[in-house]
Amino acid sequence: MTQFLQQLTNGVVLGATYGLIALGYTMVYGIIQLINFAHGDIFMLGAFGGLALYDVLPHSMQDQIIIALPLCTLAGIALSVAVAVVMERVAYRPLRNAPRLAPLITAIGVSAMIEEGTRLWYPGAKAPLDFPQLLPSGAVTLGGVRISYASIVVVVVAVVLMIALQTFVLRSRTGRAMRATAQDPDTAKLMGINTDRVIVVTFVLGASLAAVAGVLQGARLGTVRFDDGFIAGLKAFTAAVLGGIGNITGCVAGGFILGIVEVMAVQYLPHGSGYKDLWAFVVLILVLVFKPNGLFGEEVAVRA
Amino acid sequence: MTSAFFRIYHRYREQILRRTGPRGRVLLIAGMVLCLIASVLPWAVNGVGYTNPLGGNLQSAGIGGPRLYVLLLTLVAGLGLTSLDGRRRSTIAASLGNLVISVYILRGLVHEGGGTGAIGVGVWVALVGSLVLFLGADTLPVTPKNILPSLPAFADIALILVVIGVGLAALVVGLGIEDDKQFVAFALFVVALVFALNWLGVATAFTDAFERYRYIGYAIAAAAAFAFPFTQNGNAQWMAVFARVGVFAAAAIGLNVVVGLAGLLDLGYIAFFGIGGYVSALLSNAVFTTVHVHLPFLLVIPLGAAVAAFFGVLVGAPTLRLRGDYLAIVTLGFGEIFRIVAINWTGLTKGPNGIAGIPDLQLPGGFDFGKPHTLFGQLLPFQSNYYFLDIFLIAAVMVFFARINDSRIGRAWVAIREDELAARAMGINTVALKLLAFGIGATLAGTAGTINVHIGEAIEPNAYQFIFSALLLSAVVLGGMGTVAGPILGAALLYAIPEKLRFVQDYRLFLFGLALILLMRFRPEGLIVSRRRQREFHEGGSGADAMSQPGQVAPV
Repeated sequence: MTQFLQQLTNGVVLGATYGLIALGYTMVYGIIQLINFAHGDIFMLGAFGGLALYDVLPHSMQDQIIIALPLCTLAGIALSVAVAVVMERVAYRPLRNAPRLAPLITAIGVSAMIEEGTRLWYPGAKAPLDFPQLLPSGAVTLGGVRISYASIVVVVVAVVLMIALQTFVLRSRTGRAMRATAQDPDTAKLMGINTDRVIVVTFVLGASLAAVAGVLQGARLGTVRFDDGFIAGLKAFTAAVLGGIGNITGCVAGGFILGIVEVMAVQYLPHGSGYKDLWAFVVLILVLVFKPNGLFGEEVAVRA
Repeated sequence: MTSAFFRIYHRYREQILRRTGPRGRVLLIAGMVLCLIASVLPWAVNGVGYTNPLGGNLQSAGIGGPRLYVLLLTLVAGLGLTSLDGRRRSTIAASLGNLVISVYILRGLVHEGGGTGAIGVGVWVALVGSLVLFLGADTLPVTPKNILPSLPAFADIALILVVIGVGLAALVVGLGIEDDKQFVAFALFVVALVFALNWLGVATAFTDAFERYRYIGYAIAAAAAFAFPFTQNGNAQWMAVFARVGVFAAAAIGLNVVVGLAGLLDLGYIAFFGIGGYVSALLSNAVFTTVHVHLPFLLVIPLGAAVAAFFGVLVGAPTLRLRGDYLAIVTLGFGEIFRIVAINWTGLTKGPNGIAGIPDLQLPGGFDFGKPHTLFGQLLPFQSNYYFLDIFLIAAVMVFFARINDSRIGRAWVAIREDELAARAMGINTVALKLLAFGIGATLAGTAGTINVHIGEAIEPNAYQFIFSALLLSAVVLGGMGTVAGPILGAALLYAIPEKLRFVQDYRLFLFGLALILLMRFRPEGLIVSRRRQREFHEGGSGADAMSQPGQVAPV
């Protein structure tokens, strides 16, 4: 039982990361119906941005995680957002009215460029890089279950951000514009919404959340690699589909479910750890077969 | 920054135009004269530490290497003096070619040729000459692409012969250039020449001729492909590369059925290739096989194809009912599942080590693919055997592709690709047809995969990563989605160029990513244009213009 609870907490921590990344997929898909394959790489860039800033911080600040963590997170966000905005502008926007296949293929190109660009030009990135200890060490033990402070920080940050995003989308003017654009971009435009701006905002929000997830994951695992984003992105997309793509609450739930499923599968199934990355895809295929709109999704209208 | 540059340039250009007015051709002639002079001047000075990095005796006067390219491009640019349509772009392409070649040589001399002291006067003259040529070209009136008048039959066939022959010759010459730098200069020349000739209408005339005399065209192309091994003088290096290229090309044609015709984005395509490979590796008595069954190869091919097809249907059946985007991600997931299973199911696949020692193919008549054979009096390395097998495979696949493309099924696929809802309303069974396309793609990949492992003599899971699916996709996109010959050209370029330019290898995935983005943005129809496809991508644009031109064949 203790082991089960322990794995459950581990799953929640993992799921928080998936959920944060998945939000970027789900928002972009909700608005322009594009599977942004490069989003996982934006997540990876967040970690590298944080790492890059950490390396130039003076030693006195490196040791103060209360200063270093927010600074590194901001640096990660800055890098991810910058790349995401350029990507949207240069690669996706010109293809807004192109046949559907075109932006998907472009997205693969963008993903390859970000990954390979990082590998080739980030100093030392051809091998896994050590990520600094930015999260508090130590743990609390509750009824035999050991919960590290790092995990608590990850989950708390993730949940706060998810609530903030939900509030933003539901309450703010821009959020309303986002929902309008998602429903019908042409009508939204007629109502005076600058849809191009809304789409950029969507990319910025998604990239920021992914960057936070990237820095937190880097700090939690202590290592980053240029191709971290590929599998993480795939799983996050699965989480988004699981929750019903385009649905923010569902997406968060999907992240947690997927994280827990993965951790449990590794623990309790035979050869679990070797097949660690496989379960997400099995879940994805099962969901698509039996509940293509996701657990919380509503019918998505096909838009020409 | 670039926009500032263009602003300055345009102001400058206005001044030149005002001064020269209709006498723009003075500039053109001046540029040509300078470039022609440059092509016989020495391009390098025998200074201290000069290592002649570019080969071709550049220190003395005379024509050779890059100077020959400048000479030829300048002659093409001379067509700017005529009144042909498209001469402006053509001359611009030729002059830019000269410019880039001379800058490249300049850079080579400075960096590796012994410093600034090694720069010969010819380089400077060529730089100035190509700039003047460019400015002269820029004063020419803007005209549409040239349309050559329709030619009599013998001229059409002659054109096909010449273009394919020159292409083969360029390939042989290019592969024969040992030095990277010389090869780059040659490649720049070829690219500039292709652009220049394209605007003069040669490419359009060629495709038209090819469409009119399709079977003769294919026969000539097949003959050229068949002749290639005989140009290598028994050298195995390039035959080994092209044996692989042929397999990838066959797989790419299969992917083209899925992506180009039916419009389904399959991102786990390499998994089907791998499934065929594993079937073949396990059943052909490899040294490290785990299944001790040895079936004749002619039985293994259909078996590998069938197993791949089975998995194709298994993946496709549930997902093809959904919206198209999901297919992309599910296939991507399937590709990963395949790899993860191959790594972990050590009892069958030997895990990450893979299965090594796969024997060469044996045909029933005792023909051994692992031995060199003499053909037409020339001893060809054993890799040629696989190369010839590839040609047969590709020919069969091409015939299949062309026939199905023109069939009711092919038209239904296109209808689905264009508008699935409308297609269904027209009574097309969209799910069944999509599944058929997906299954055919998987079958072809499996077939190619069975042969591939015999060439490589080993199979291991990490040769089937996602990135190789992306590479195959790039080959299809680069060559031209929905065309018969496009994926072959794409595969040849994408797989052979990194083999030639070793220093590119580390950058190749980055460059492929860049190429995908640029292609989708500027030339989504790829190098070889499918008329149908071009019209789709440029609605009301150049494709439609080309259709309305007189002397054009009816749309396919």
